[in-house]
Amino acid sequence: MSVSRTIASAPTPRPSLEGWGTPITLVVVWAALIAATGLYRPDFFAHQTVLAIAFTMSIIGVLAIAQGLVGISGGFIDLSQPACLILSGLVAVRLSEAGQPLLLVFLGAIVIGMTWGALNAAIIVFAKLNPVIVTLSTNFIGLAALYLVFQLAQVPNGSEIYAMGRARFLGLPVIWWPMVLLIVLVGYMVRYSRFGRRMTAVGGNRFAAKARGISLTSTRFATFLAAGGFVGFAAVLFASAAGPFNPSSASTLQLSVIASVILAGISLAGGRGSFWMLLLSVGFLATIPTSLVFFGLSSDTQSIFQGILLMIAVAIDGYRARRGAP
Amino acid sequence: MSDIPARHTPQPFVLPHHPVREALTGSVASIAFTFIVVIAVGLFWIGPKFISFGNVSIIGTFLIVPLLVGGFAGFALLAGVVDLSIGSVVGISAAIFAWFVSHQWGVLPAACITLAICLVIGALNALAIVRFGADPIAATLGMLTALRGITWVLCGNQRMIPAFDITYFTLINSQVLGLPLFFLLAILLTLIAAIIVAKTRLGRHIQAVGGDDRAAARAGISVQGVRTAALLISAFGGGLGGLVYVGQLGSAAGATGLGLEFQVYAALMIGGYSILRGGVGNPIGGALGMLAVAGVSNILDLKAISPYYVNIIVGLLLLAAVLLDRFRGGDTYE
Repeated sequence: MSVSRTIASAPTPRPSLEGWGTPITLVVVWAALIAATGLYRPDFFAHQTVLAIAFTMSIIGVLAIAQGLVGISGGFIDLSQPACLILSGLVAVRLSEAGQPLLLVFLGAIVIGMTWGALNAAIIVFAKLNPVIVTLSTNFIGLAALYLVFQLAQVPNGSEIYAMGRARFLGLPVIWWPMVLLIVLVGYMVRYSRFGRRMTAVGGNRFAAKARGISLTSTRFATFLAAGGFVGFAAVLFASAAGPFNPSSASTLQLSVIASVILAGISLAGGRGSFWMLLLSVGFLATIPTSLVFFGLSSDTQSIFQGILLMIAVAIDGYRARRGAP
Repeated sequence: MSDIPARHTPQPFVLPHHPVREALTGSVASIAFTFIVVIAVGLFWIGPKFISFGNVSIIGTFLIVPLLVGGFAGFALLAGVVDLSIGSVVGISAAIFAWFVSHQWGVLPAACITLAICLVIGALNALAIVRFGADPIAATLGMLTALRGITWVLCGNQRMIPAFDITYFTLINSQVLGLPLFFLLAILLTLIAAIIVAKTRLGRHIQAVGGDDRAAARAGISVQGVRTAALLISAFGGGLGGLVYVGQLGSAAGATGLGLEFQVYAALMIGGYSILRGGVGNPIGGALGMLAVAGVSNILDLKAISPYYVNIIVGLLLLAAVLLDRFRGGDTYE
């Protein structure tokens, strides 16, 4: 009797209403933002607005997948995303300058991103150091080294990658679609595939996961390899759409990415969260800058709102974790 | 079933406490060694000019704000609540102070109001982190971004606020014995902070809370109170840093203090602090970390080598310092 009861109660660790709290809140807040902007300026409802939001979403969304993978597996934050993105972006630019086909550009950037991830993972696993400090250091080193290599880079006009950044499919930017596909796919994999469950288990309680025979080393490596690959993919989108960039161009993306991961309810402490929520949180965060422009506020105010939002989201996350703790 | 411990890792072997061995192997010893190596390299490569009053005074002038900010922020690190917002607190403090001064306020009332606003910022950090249990890194990252945005808005289209007060400018940039007065004051402050940490009840409470908050709570220490105080101290230090910047530059810019937090925390971590666990580190070690990094930067400057190499060296030093800390019994990440 007691056995069947424990089994029956196992799959629902939280009350069912709370599981829907995050998406409902996100949808309500997002809708409120859109409605408020639309009421103030009816010309907000235009195709141009949708395009602007979709462009912002594409790069942040793919980066958020990578950040979410690191977070859910207990790695907390990957602070080296800017360096990795710029490095892979530079490789993409150089490959397209050499006239390579688009497929090879993607492949090159992703391989470089994965190499970067492997490097991070190697230091974390073999030196047994905390990912936050390791990625902080590698970002420091990486960006400085990149400044020694180049000052400004840009994909050549008229190349395939240049055309991709400006093309549209079904009324939305081409680069928006792979982001949506990847979030849906990764969300499914994390929840239902063996590797995804292992990663979540390691993030939730690494000692319990180890006791069950999950190798922490290989899970860590796989996580950082996958995360690096996604950053490499995002780098191609970034290079195709961002215009000329320098080594510090990606630093402003970092906060939006972290904020979208936390708003999506993917705990930085690891072990819980759904990647599908990223579609909502990234969409909401990408709407803010466009809305502010319509309200006539300068782009400086964007970071005020994002910062306050991040603080509130983290406070709610912490409050929930504290209340849910045994 | 449930009383079988999930933790199967063997506990690391910890040597018993011994004052002499700790003085030789502790965090201050390794940073002191690094510091001596930097000076030696400077002496061999640059020559005696490296430790001349003129050169030390140049290094010192650049170090005043980082030393002040780091000295205060170190308390937050010790209490186990890293405050990433200090760079932006420096920025907004400079902007507010410059705004008041440029609107014909006296320097003293302007400074008092600025510091009060910085304390409010610290209180907001404490509200999110201590009251609601937000993660310190993510929460103060939010504060960092929000404050930077406000600073840009305050600075307006000119991107800077001119605030030149001749008395204040002379005071901040005055020299004593051939060295900047405020550099000496910052060193004095470091020594006072070291005494507070090592000898006073407050210092011991902060270390206890940072080392193990549950044990500290059982010992009757108010964990929330200590952490709130530490975050207030940290924001106050950022405020002071902003005031000094305005004195040094005669204006506040939107980018004042941008990235200062990474510069300060990298140096503090090289000096033996940890941004992930409290209770370790010492103000003297932190100050030596800053001096060592500034020394490396100065050597490359004098040799006309690209400043980006400094960041590469700092990054490598940081990894080495964290690795050393782990060997000394710091947190092992598995």
